[in-house]
Amino acid sequence: MALLSLGKKEESCRCHGNTGEKTEGLQKVVLVGSPNVGKSVVFGYLTGRYVTVSNYPGTTVDVTRGKGKLGDKEFEIIDTPGMYSLLPITEEERVARSILLDENPAVVVQVVDAKNIERMLHMTLQLMEAEAPLVLVLNLMDEAERLGMKVDTGQLERELGIPVVATVATEGRGMDLLKEAVIRHEKKRGGIVKYDKVLESAVQRIQEKLKGEYRISKRAIALFLLQDDPDIRSLVRKQMKEDYRSLEEIIGETKNRYGQPLNYIVTLARQREILEIIKKVTVSSPEETMDFRERLSRLMMHPLAGVPILLLIIYSFYEFVGVFGAQISVNFLEETVFGKYINPFVTGIVISIIPWKVWQNLFVHDYGIITLGIRYAIAIILPVVTTFFIAFSIIEDSGYLPRLAMFIDRLFKKIGLNGRAVIPIVLGFGCDTMATMVTRTLETKRERIIATFLLALAVPCSAQIGVILALLAGNVGALWIFISVMAMIFLFTGYLAAKIVPGEKPLFFMEVPPLRWPKLSNVFTKTYTRVEWYFKEVLPLFVLASILIWAGKLTGLFDLLTNALSYPAALIGLPKEAATAFLYGFFRRDFGAAGLYDLKTAGLLNGIPLVVSVVTLALFMPCIAQFSITIKERGWKMALGMAAFIFPFAFFVGYLLNFVLNGLGIAL
Amino acid sequence: MKCPLCGLEFREQDGLEGCKGCALSGTCSLIKCPNCGYEVPKEPGLIKFIRSLKRQKEIKK
Repeated sequence: MALLSLGKKEESCRCHGNTGEKTEGLQKVVLVGSPNVGKSVVFGYLTGRYVTVSNYPGTTVDVTRGKGKLGDKEFEIIDTPGMYSLLPITEEERVARSILLDENPAVVVQVVDAKNIERMLHMTLQLMEAEAPLVLVLNLMDEAERLGMKVDTGQLERELGIPVVATVATEGRGMDLLKEAVIRHEKKRGGIVKYDKVLESAVQRIQEKLKGEYRISKRAIALFLLQDDPDIRSLVRKQMKEDYRSLEEIIGETKNRYGQPLNYIVTLARQREILEIIKKVTVSSPEETMDFRERLSRLMMHPLAGVPILLLIIYSFYEFVGVFGAQISVNFLEETVFGKYINPFVTGIVISIIPWKVWQNLFVHDYGIITLGIRYAIAIILPVVTTFFIAFSIIEDSGYLPRLAMFIDRLFKKIGLNGRAVIPIVLGFGCDTMATMVTRTLETKRERIIATFLLALAVPCSAQIGVILALLAGNVGALWIFISVMAMIFLFTGYLAAKIVPGEKPLFFMEVPPLRWPKLSNVFTKTYTRVEWYFKEVLPLFVLASILIWAGKLTGLFDLLTNALSYPAALIGLPKEAATAFLYGFFRRDFGAAGLYDLKTAGLLNGIPLVVSVVTLALFMPCIAQFSITIKERGWKMALGMAAFIFPFAFFVGYLLNFVLNGLGIAL
Repeated sequence: MKCPLCGLEFREQDGLEGCKGCALSGTCSLIKCPNCGYEVPKEPGLIKFIRSLKRQKEIKK
């Protein structure tokens, strides 16, 4: 009999308790389920005190095994790492599946979170398709009941055709019933999902041609193959050798019949089946039981109600980052710490040590490493990004980000863009360079081009947003003008790009985790982690930018470029010094924004010119790093084409904005 | 660790798998969610140390 061995068996043991427990020859009960559903608590009830924790062979993933007496019979109980689906993404999921498939379990106990039953039943259906000897445990029933949710377990049992047990594992509720269900378990075939004709026919044809022996059903193998599972593919190929080509033909043919990946088609069919089941087994409708959190969650994703919520969040960011971060903290660090102490002290030392003005300029004066690079990094950027990251961590920990992704997705669809590009766009608000790299995960060339273009043009990165909020601090009108202009440009250029670049518009779906109160410890950890990461990355680059500016000054190249940029800057009503900030912006967007901040504190930039410069800089060329990644990902032609559009477009928008605001006589 | 965007729980090693083809992977300190591609910075040593102390305390209890 051929085994589905995905890893060699060798002992690499890290043991707790009695290591001498013998489990050979015992029937196995394997616990599976997503993380945080109470699987380990169930394991504890089934096993008792002595358990063995060891690395799964060939991996660093922990697997816990123990012995449990259920009724008169002893079993080996195995607690697998958390898994969301039988199609693995992580190594832990791969190990969990290997155990399930390799160890020939007598019973598979799937533990699910009852309140998220809809999400969890996907794996139940997969396990049923694989013909695993399944018992379904609806755990955390108390939490579900608290939410007003009632599940008819008897009806669910009839719908699925497998034993279902309701439990509250932490209190031991339902554990006797579970033990009973395991002891009395008889292998019977549960109901399976019916896919559409094309897919069913492909599954049927693959099943007929499939050779070799497997520990799961041939139907499940066929579905794994159609969904491009690499482990199953190599297993089948190993058994069928040359004959595998006939399966490849069926798979290729089926893929060509659909516009979307087969994984998506299969998931959608399962989801439809699950919704039917949920309708029959949940006693009260979700509308009646919807609590405040659920209502808020839906409002956040609503195309209309989501707008004021997003604006409120942006305004809170502005108050926190702009007022507390930029006004109080930056003023203190820049004017007091650097202005009164560090700069005069360091300048004095450098002048006394280095007699040559040229070399002095490298460290101090207008563009010195310390007086410009380090001052920008510590006095301007650090307090702004720290406050920004605190606010961002709160948002991240609350679960708002996936809702924002869903909300943007709905807006995207309205203007004819596809929704999957949401992920790199949302990531772009963190770092555009990294987000540009993520665009490679998009399926079609069209998606990749549109997402890269929008990232380069209309998505400011976190550091830039922080400094922009700081620049606009104390001027709410300017903030709303900035947001409105950026949103209009984003939607308009996105719409145009979607029209110009032809192609399929694939659908987008993602799981939305529950909304929750942010935890202080998580917010602290995330902020600290990000500030440390950012500072390590930004400080050397700011120092390098100072050196390049110094070298540019020496060679005259810097003056040449700022002179060239001063003409379009003057055209949009900005002082010629703003050209220097734009040049900085090409090194890093936040470096450029910090340059504008300098001009603002010097009293050279206020009112309309301030809004115009902020909008222009936000639209202006991406930083060097993002530009080079765009070249790498999309090629020279595309990157230069984008630059050729973005550079004049940024100044054109600046010019138009200056013209309109002045023409309307708006005072900011 | 848990992805703040899609909620997937994964280990740091899994997060580094997705970066293998990237030229910056040697120096970059970000971890990519293997499910949705969202990136988060690696936990600094100090935070890991505090976590391990907390875990030791829990085990002793």
